[in-house]
Amino acid sequence: MRRSLICGAAGLLAAFLLWPGWAVAFEGEGTVRIGGMWPLSGPASFFGKAAFGLASLAVDEINEAGGLVVGGKRVKLALYSQDEACVAEQGLAVVKRLATVDKVLFSLGPGCSSVAEPVFGTLQKKLDDRSDTGLQLLFFTDIATKFGLAKLSPWAFRNTPDEPGMYDFVVKYLKEKHPDFKTVMVSYESDFAHSAATWNIALKPALERHKHHQVVEVVDWRWLDNEFGAQVTRLRKANADIYFSLTHTPSTCPSLRELKRQRVRPKIVVGITSLAGTEVLQQCPDVAEGVIAPSNFAPITPRAKQVADKAWERYKADSNIHSVPAYENVHLMKGLIEKAGIKNTEESLLSDRRKVRDLLATVGTFQGVVGKITMRPEDDPVKPRDVDKDLLLVQIRSAKWDIFWVPDHLKQN
Amino acid sequence: MSTVLLDGTEQLINGLMYGCFYALIGGGFTLLFGVLRRFNLAYGSTIMAGAYAGLIPVYLFNAPVLVLFVTTIVVSVLVGLLVEFCCFRFLRKGHELAPLMTTIGMLIVIDETIVYLTDAVGFKYPAPFGDESLALGPFLIRPDYLAILVVSVVSFSAIFYLLYRTRFGRAMRAVAERPDAAQILGVSVRHVNVLTFVLTSALAGIIGFFAAVSVGSARPEMAAWLTGKGLVVMVLGGLGSFPGAIVGGLALGVLEFEAVWFLGSSYRDILAFAILFLVLIVRPGGLLGTRTA
Repeated sequence: MRRSLICGAAGLLAAFLLWPGWAVAFEGEGTVRIGGMWPLSGPASFFGKAAFGLASLAVDEINEAGGLVVGGKRVKLALYSQDEACVAEQGLAVVKRLATVDKVLFSLGPGCSSVAEPVFGTLQKKLDDRSDTGLQLLFFTDIATKFGLAKLSPWAFRNTPDEPGMYDFVVKYLKEKHPDFKTVMVSYESDFAHSAATWNIALKPALERHKHHQVVEVVDWRWLDNEFGAQVTRLRKANADIYFSLTHTPSTCPSLRELKRQRVRPKIVVGITSLAGTEVLQQCPDVAEGVIAPSNFAPITPRAKQVADKAWERYKADSNIHSVPAYENVHLMKGLIEKAGIKNTEESLLSDRRKVRDLLATVGTFQGVVGKITMRPEDDPVKPRDVDKDLLLVQIRSAKWDIFWVPDHLKQN
Repeated sequence: MSTVLLDGTEQLINGLMYGCFYALIGGGFTLLFGVLRRFNLAYGSTIMAGAYAGLIPVYLFNAPVLVLFVTTIVVSVLVGLLVEFCCFRFLRKGHELAPLMTTIGMLIVIDETIVYLTDAVGFKYPAPFGDESLALGPFLIRPDYLAILVVSVVSFSAIFYLLYRTRFGRAMRAVAERPDAAQILGVSVRHVNVLTFVLTSALAGIIGFFAAVSVGSARPEMAAWLTGKGLVVMVLGGLGSFPGAIVGGLALGVLEFEAVWFLGSSYRDILAFAILFLVLIVRPGGLLGTRTA
C-alpha cells in the first residue's frame, strides 16, 4: 500500500514536471510579460500593495482597450508580481526569479530603497561590456526613493520623487513665507535608508544652502520602535519653530502622539514625502492634523481623480506619491514596447530588454497623471535616468489630505 | 538640581515605568518556562493576536474600552490554549528542544495569518488614558505608563498570591520542581500545564492591551519585538525566576531610557545586550537565578 502510494506520488510529480505546459514559450501565450517586485507583506506592504494595485489597474486598462501590438499581432500584458517584503535578501532572490523564471521584459519596483540598492547592484554596470556578467534586466522603479539609486546601473530607471529638489523648495518656501521661523528640529529613522537619506542628502544640504534656519536638535529612532519618550523630550527642550518629521507612518504616528503628550507644539510640521497617503489618516489623523508633506500626487485634476477612484474601486489601492508612478510607468512602457520592435520570444528576450531599455533612455518628456514628467538623459551628471515632475505641497486638514500649495499651471486645471 | 541630574531622573522614572511593562512580558515567559521547563516562542504572537482581536468589537460595534480589554484577554487565552494544544501537549518527554521549533512555527503561522487578514496594516487603538502627560514637578509622566505601573503591581501581587498562597500555586511549584514526584502525589501535570497557559495567556492579553495603547496601534511587528524583549528579560533576570523577571524588566527599562537619553538611540540595544552579556559572564544564571541554572 505504502509503496504504491509512493509510486503514485512519484508518477504525479514526474507528469507534473514533464507536462508540456511548462515548456510553452511565453510568446505562445499571446502576452508580453512584465514584472513587479514590491513589499507585498510586512510593515511596508501598504506602499507595495498600493503600487501593485495601480500597476494592475494600468494593465487592466491596456488589456481592456485591446492590448498592445507586437510584431503585427495583438497581445495582452501579463503582470508577474513578486514580494520583496522590504528585505534585501528576499529582493535578491525574487529579482533572479523575475529575470530567469518569470522571464519578464522589464520590472517595476522595488519598493524599498534598502532592497533596490542591492538589487541594482546585481545589474550590469556598463552596457555592452562582455566582461560584466551583471543581470540585464530593465527596472522602471516607482517607489524606491533614496537619492542616486539609478546611478548604480544603466538598466535602472526611476519615476520617483526628487527629494533634494522637493526639500530645497520647502526650505525656500518656509524662508520666504515665514522668515521669523528660524529654528528647526529634525527626526529621522536611522535604520531606514530613505528616511536617513532624506535628512542627509535632501534636507540638511538644503538648510545649509539657504543659510536661514538654525538646526537646534536632530534625533533619530528606528522605524519600528515603540518608545519615543527620550527623543521627544530632546525635541521639547529644543522647542524649535519648525519640525521636520522625516519618518514613516509606523513611527510618525506614535512620535507625534508623544509630542502631543509632552506638549511640544512646533509652529509648522513638515513630513517625509512618503507620508502623503491614506495610511497616516487611518492611524493617527488627530495628531497628524496640520502636517505638511511635499508630494508629486494629489487628486487635483479630473484625470488624477478618476485614476484614484478607479484604483480604490477595483483594488482598494491607495493612490499616492509612490503608487501612481507604477500606473504611469506601465502606460509609458506600453507605447515603448510597441515602438521598440521586439520579437517577444524566449530567444529574443535579452535583445528585447535592451531595445526597450534604449528606447526608454530617449523618452524625454511624457504625460503623467497630474502633469508632465521629464526623464533626465543617461549622461546627466546628477540624476541620470531619474525624472523631474511637478511638486505639490499637501496638508492634513480635517483628517484628509488637502492642497497646501500647487504651481500656477496646475491651478488652472 | 542640575540639568543632567534632572534629565537623568526623568529618564529613570520613565524607564522604571516602562520597565514594569518589560517585567510583565518577561513574567509571562518566565512562568511558562518555570513550570514547563520549555520555551514558548509563540508568546509574543499570542499577545499580538489578542491585541488585534480586541479591536473587533470596537470597530464593529463601537464598543467601549472595557470590552476591548476583556476581549483582548479572552482571545489571548484562547490562542494560548491553541498553542498549548498544538505545540506542547503531544510532545514526548525528553525532547526539550522540540517546542522551540513547534512554537517558532506557531509564531510564524499566527503572524502570517494576521498579516494576511489585516494587509499588515496597523490598526488605530483608542487612547483610554488620554493624550496629555501629567506634570509632577519638573517631570512629565505619561498616564498610560502610570496605568502600566499600577496594573503591573496588581498583576505581580496576584501572581505571587496565586503561587505561594493557593493550592494551585503549590501544585504549579511542585510540577516546576519535580513533575514526576508531583504526579505520584496526585497532581495532574497536564491540568497544571493547561492552567499555567490560561494564566500566562491572560497576562498576555493585559500586555497586548497596554502594548497597543502605548504605541497607539496594533501592529504586525509587535510579536517579534515582544518576543525579543521577553527573552532578554527572562535571561537577564534568571531563567524560571519570577522575581528575576521583575528585576530584569525594570533594569532593562531604565537602561534603555538612560542609554537613549545620554548616548543616543543607536546605543540602546548595544548597551542592553552588552549588559546582558556581562551579567551572563558574572552570573550565568541571571540576576536572581541560581548559579547552575
